[in-house]
Amino acid sequence: MSTDEEKAKKQREAGEREAARLWRAWRTVHEMVQDRGYELTDEEVKISFDDFKEKFSNPGEAGIIEQMKFSARPSDAMIVRYSNPPTAADPNPPSPDIGTIWIEFLPDSSVGIKQMRAFAQYLSANNFHTGILITNVNITPAALKIIPAVAAETRIECFVESDLLVNITHHELVPRHVLLSKEERTALLQRYRLKDTQLPRIQLGDPVARYLGLRRGQVVKIIRKSETAGRYASYRLCV
Amino acid sequence: MATAKQPKSILKKATYPATTSSKEDRDREVALYHANLIQQRKDIELNILLSTETLIDYPLAKAPYDASNPSLADATEFKRLLRPFQPSDYDELIHERNINEKCGYTLCPNPRVKDGIGGKYRIIGTNGKAKDFKVVEKEELEKWCSEVCAKRALYVRVQLSESPAWEREAAGSTVNIDLLDEPKPVDGAIVEGLGKMSLDGGTGGKQQDVANLALERGDTGMAAKNGLVDVKVQEKEVHRPAQAPSLDDLSGRLDTMHLTLEGHTPEFGSRRERRHAEELEDDDGPDTDWRM
Ligand SMILES: [Zn+2]
Repeated sequence: MSTDEEKAKKQREAGEREAARLWRAWRTVHEMVQDRGYELTDEEVKISFDDFKEKFSNPGEAGIIEQMKFSARPSDAMIVRYSNPPTAADPNPPSPDIGTIWIEFLPDSSVGIKQMRAFAQYLSANNFHTGILITNVNITPAALKIIPAVAAETRIECFVESDLLVNITHHELVPRHVLLSKEERTALLQRYRLKDTQLPRIQLGDPVARYLGLRRGQVVKIIRKSETAGRYASYRLCV
Repeated sequence: MATAKQPKSILKKATYPATTSSKEDRDREVALYHANLIQQRKDIELNILLSTETLIDYPLAKAPYDASNPSLADATEFKRLLRPFQPSDYDELIHERNINEKCGYTLCPNPRVKDGIGGKYRIIGTNGKAKDFKVVEKEELEKWCSEVCAKRALYVRVQLSESPAWEREAAGSTVNIDLLDEPKPVDGAIVEGLGKMSLDGGTGGKQQDVANLALERGDTGMAAKNGLVDVKVQEKEVHRPAQAPSLDDLSGRLDTMHLTLEGHTPEFGSRRERRHAEELEDDDGPDTDWRM
């Protein structure tokens, strides 16, 4: 075999490995978006590797990663979960703080203020409520400070591609986390006569909290399987 | 449980001002003070972020201006925006400029160098004197377009204050940054120089003096401004007429006079033991908690 052929073969293999990585991240992020309650079809979520390669191998187009972006709308069930029930004090509560989500993979080898600002501007210009930016490098600390600065307009979350190669919530040791709606949350606290601060806590930066896009003050129900007690639930307040 | 006896705190008592009447008032004041502090800090941090964003695109002036001869407007604005920066903020600015393939020195229009050769380290100064010879990280070299720019940038860095801007309040206006290569004195610079001269003689100088004085006094933070730290000078009243020292006074101490150091008689052991004994007497015996 000539060296040129060998080189070409090696390149193909490297390309294949890279495509496999991207496919796994693509699947995980779709599962994540679906688990949060956005509308995605099962075909979109459970795309096979071959279909994935087919979808993004348009000749003449840019690389795979440049084309990896999509949006999703919240399902009705999700809107209900995020809605604010009317109370005596506030008979006309604000509409649920949820909306269309935009997900984008960024190929850049370093992500700084400029890239983050451009992403934020893209989200605002297209009225996306939430944006998820997936990079293959860590974002600079200065760029991360943009996120709270634009929080009034749009909600930005960041993930590193390598963290999405496996779906952590599929691991057998990670129990199922379910977000409670505001009504369920109130009912729970009333039933046990608790203040929310008396609940055990889950950190905002906890991998599962990040996966579900939890916000401060939300309560998740954690369902564990137990050999002796069947299934039992516990609750945690996101702080 | 024993309620009669509180454990003694080894910490100094927190002394809050006695100026306000009720506890609620005081609590509100303290809460407000901290809220203001946090807000102020957030404002400054946002300011630094926006300044960093602006300075990524510097210099604004095109040729013939360059790093060795920056335009007056760019240099002035650069110095002004840099005031609240800490060295770490400045490093972030350099990093952000590098991400955009620019020389790390803000007033330099050149791209940074990238030699594209592998390896983590580079050897520099091989054709100069022995003292110039250095082994440096490639990453460190690739931050700049040239060695002079590295010098220019670090010359600025060492002038930045290590303390965060929200803690250096009173001195904030006094941070003045010099450049290794200041704008060349053309007509504009002379005008600025003249302006500066008159300013220094006028209010500017006075403000600076006041700020320096405040810094010297130590009332730099918000605490002093809001009067949260309540300083009162209380004169000690003298009730009896002053008496000249006499030998009678000394008679009791004559046997220890040779131990006196500049009027102070050090005591070892004896006094501490005494105090210890007294404390033990005060206690109604150890381990009596269980009785109550
Ligand atoms: Zn330069």
